[in-house]
Amino acid sequence: MANTPGAIRILDEGAGAFRPPDPDGSRAFVREHKTRKLVDKRMTEQEAVSRFVFDGAYVSYDTNTWRRGPSSLMREIIRQKRRDLWIAAKFNAHDATLLTAGGCVSKIDVGWMEVGRVITEAMQAGRVKLYEWTNGALAYRHLAGALGVPFLPLRYVGGTDVFRQSGAKLIEDPYTGAAVCLVPALNPDVALIHVNQCDIYGNARVFGPGLAPVETAMASKRVILSTEEIIDTEEIRKHPAQTKIPYYAVDAVVYAPFGCYPGTVPGLYRADLPHLMEFGVAQAQGKMDEYLEKWVFSVASHTEMLEKRVGLAKLDQLRAEETHTEGYYT
Amino acid sequence: MTTALAFTDNEATITYTSRLMEEDRLYFVAIGGPPLLAILLSKQLRTPAIAYVVEDGTIAPEMPMPTPPFMIGAGLASRRAVAWTDMNTVDFHAGLGYIDYGVLAAVQVDEFGNFNSTFTGGEFDRPQRRFGGPGGANEIASLCWRTVLMTRLQKRKFVRKLDFMSSPGFLDGSPGARQRAGLPPDTGPWRVVTERAMFDFDEATRRMQLIAVAPWSSVDEVLADMEFEPLVLRDLAVLDPPSEDELAVLRTQVDPTGRTIAGEWIMLEETGGTFRRVREASGAKP
Repeated sequence: MANTPGAIRILDEGAGAFRPPDPDGSRAFVREHKTRKLVDKRMTEQEAVSRFVFDGAYVSYDTNTWRRGPSSLMREIIRQKRRDLWIAAKFNAHDATLLTAGGCVSKIDVGWMEVGRVITEAMQAGRVKLYEWTNGALAYRHLAGALGVPFLPLRYVGGTDVFRQSGAKLIEDPYTGAAVCLVPALNPDVALIHVNQCDIYGNARVFGPGLAPVETAMASKRVILSTEEIIDTEEIRKHPAQTKIPYYAVDAVVYAPFGCYPGTVPGLYRADLPHLMEFGVAQAQGKMDEYLEKWVFSVASHTEMLEKRVGLAKLDQLRAEETHTEGYYT
Repeated sequence: MTTALAFTDNEATITYTSRLMEEDRLYFVAIGGPPLLAILLSKQLRTPAIAYVVEDGTIAPEMPMPTPPFMIGAGLASRRAVAWTDMNTVDFHAGLGYIDYGVLAAVQVDEFGNFNSTFTGGEFDRPQRRFGGPGGANEIASLCWRTVLMTRLQKRKFVRKLDFMSSPGFLDGSPGARQRAGLPPDTGPWRVVTERAMFDFDEATRRMQLIAVAPWSSVDEVLADMEFEPLVLRDLAVLDPPSEDELAVLRTQVDPTGRTIAGEWIMLEETGGTFRRVREASGAKP
């Protein structure tokens, strides 16, 4: 192949819509709106969601409502009736179902998600539109976003109908001449990350296998942390290797013990399996409105939900039953 | 003397898949389900030193036995790993060539081993039945050296044309098709395992080939349950039914809740090495 400068050959491309990459826009946003000052970012979930999650926003979260996901923040988004969100359903549990049942979502980038009546009926009624990616491709698009580059090459997605329904492109690699896929960077408007510990500034620790907590936080314009525990900055500075997300990326710190409920935060508390079954039954019987009324709308906050709907005895039990803490807190 | 045997279709598929495991190799699984159970069964009975990575970034965990209920949401599932990383990291490891086998479940598969886990029936925007999506299957099937697929032997699963190709097999089967789509060379589907038949892929044509059949079934019966006609190996192997040991470990250790191994019962009577499928097993009731 001649080494003459010219256009890179695009061999094929998918037809799916995608959030256009905008690294310069993200940089400008960071320069203008993200403080580098050490300020106390603690606020209530009401304030965090009303300030940073707007109608039409692209929202990304990590990981899911079954394990170390920001369940309390998702319920607050539903409570505040946010609309027309575009979400990244990478490695979801019933997260997308919950937000769709709440009427909050109109577009879903799919890696994997629990699909039942709610999503199926919303698709059939044209209320939600799905765009196909894979778990890995979505995590990787967040990585591109977190690196500040407009795209990254990858060696999957190509050749399939996922490629057709995505925003991926197949190009001739200008270095080797081989075919390689490109995926666009993703810079969500808001990231919701539930963490094990952070300080009041947002220096955060995440324990256990992650999905893409760091990529998701760094790629996003706004970052809301919910945290099981707020720890001293002195503690952070004593063990800097534990910090996964630095303070300057973070906009809000929401204190939310049991923030993943009904899911688990490994090492701290177990998932509430009867609750997950209740969710499944509500969905199967078309009673999601009743479920949302009970767990979201009839309580003013996460704390009130824990007190009135779950109860201290149940919370104690879920903590006691999570007997395996090795690697997390020991 | 006649002996009665009973197991589910899923137990058979998991058992046959577990017998494919190669000691000291590295496997890639999505978060749970039959593929993980096949690996755990083999680790218990035959290949203690195989290791696996999970999509969530867990590398080589030691799952407690019996396994915890609701594995997906149990911290125990990632206990005693050598590393807790993240999704991008384990995908990089597969991309680098460290992961020998991906083991995956498929909703539909075609004659070139391409498979579907997205929707069946209707159109993409208005599917009759929508599934969760490829999840990590696309990257696992693209990047691991060999892919093992697990599914049921049914006409609506072994189809001429997939409703949606979520993950790649040999694509259109032409030489170099995967590389032209940007996937690494020398990768692709290696076995397709069902409760009654096992397949590999012909090296020249990349078409699926029947290589083994359960002793209570037959080639004709297998072909009748497929929409496309596979190649048929001349010297077919016999898929020995799950042994008592395999079933015991599967039921008491690997899936004590019985959620994943539940399925359609296969009841057999064996007389002098000959198996006959019966409606009601005379002796061993499940």
